Amino acid sequence: MTFDFLRYYNHYVFVCEKNREGFALLAGEQREMDERYLEKVLSLALDLGKSMVKCGAEINRVEETVLRIAYAYKIEKTEVFSIVSMIQATVIDSENHTHTQMRRIYSYSTNFGRLEKLNALSRKICAETPDLDLAREELEKICRDGKKFDGKVCLGYMLAAAAFTFFFGGNLWDSAAAAPIAAVIYLMQTYIKASGMSRLLFTALTSAVSGSLAMLFVHIGFGSHADMIMIGDIMLLIPGLMLINSVREMLCGDLMSGLLRLLESVILAMSIACGYAIPIVASGIFG
Amino acid sequence: MDLKQALIIIISGMLGTVGFSVLFRSDKHRIICNAVGGALTCVVYVICCRYFDHLFAQNFFPAVFATAYAEIMARIMQAPATPILACSIIPLVPGGKLYYTTYYFVMSQMDSFDASLSDTLKISAGLAVGIICISVVVHEITRHKFKQILDVE
Repeated sequence: MTFDFLRYYNHYVFVCEKNREGFALLAGEQREMDERYLEKVLSLALDLGKSMVKCGAEINRVEETVLRIAYAYKIEKTEVFSIVSMIQATVIDSENHTHTQMRRIYSYSTNFGRLEKLNALSRKICAETPDLDLAREELEKICRDGKKFDGKVCLGYMLAAAAFTFFFGGNLWDSAAAAPIAAVIYLMQTYIKASGMSRLLFTALTSAVSGSLAMLFVHIGFGSHADMIMIGDIMLLIPGLMLINSVREMLCGDLMSGLLRLLESVILAMSIACGYAIPIVASGIFG
Repeated sequence: MDLKQALIIIISGMLGTVGFSVLFRSDKHRIICNAVGGALTCVVYVICCRYFDHLFAQNFFPAVFATAYAEIMARIMQAPATPILACSIIPLVPGGKLYYTTYYFVMSQMDSFDASLSDTLKISAGLAVGIICISVVVHEITRHKFKQILDVE
């Protein structure tokens, strides 16, 4: 009887300890996994947000996307702050583990097709909460850059410049002259801007080159109004989207990024003006 | 402004919108939507030019129209509103005025410079206020529903 009791007791203690050990092990693993989990969710959300800012999304939308994704993956609490050049977010789980990451955004180029795809992906992630690696694969598939030179986009530049030359009162020859200049602007934007030149300097340079080309074309008799050709090409460089975004952002309470965008678009307009001033002055002196 | 001029503005405005949609790499099926938006905005602009003398009013009402159009189409197509707005409002952007402002400044014709600078600012103000008027309403209706849920928790 005593022997039996002892045996059972020992067994009981053994089982209990084993279990406790097991639980401890499990909890440790759990915590480690939690931190990895937090990290993975946050980095997915921020990478998606960064791609959206780069495509030209409003900040409001980006912040909401990050919040929604974290919420969909059952994260207790999320804090996110974003301006046009940075996104920062902290996620907190139910046991007060926190994880913080940030993304810095250096350059952006408008790409509405990609923006819509990213938007659809974020909707899908929130609705289905797919496996994190799967979601990341999808994200990378969307953000993969195709070939550098895109003939269709180049045609878009040419069509826009020609149409606006006509819109502001040029004749058909002026439109025809504006189109090749627009193609030059596109080529400069794909090949020179990619080398990391500052946006201001680049805009001034592009303006100066396209202004000089317009003067040259009129001089050799291709097109008759240099000013109309220049106006058509100016339309391509004016930061219209930036201005629209800045107005809408300031309205939504994102004063910081609204002001940054407003300031940048005013400065860009000034650098366009400086760029076009060079050929005008030169033609005044030499012509 | 006679009929021929109006037609030129509407058609070239629409073509410009198509060009910008391609330039901004919009999806194929969005381009038609943007082009219609651009053309209708130009129609409103032409009508406003007929009935108003002031530059602010001439650009304010088309901007209101473009924003409303973008918000409605965005709801229908379940897409962000900004791409549609950015493309259909492009014909109103004061590129010509910006050029003449620079030109007169460089040529040191200060009277003309003042006039065209203030024109540029008036047009921009008209566009901004027009966008704000509609955005305020839409923003108040759909305001941060999601952020509020999170904060309550």
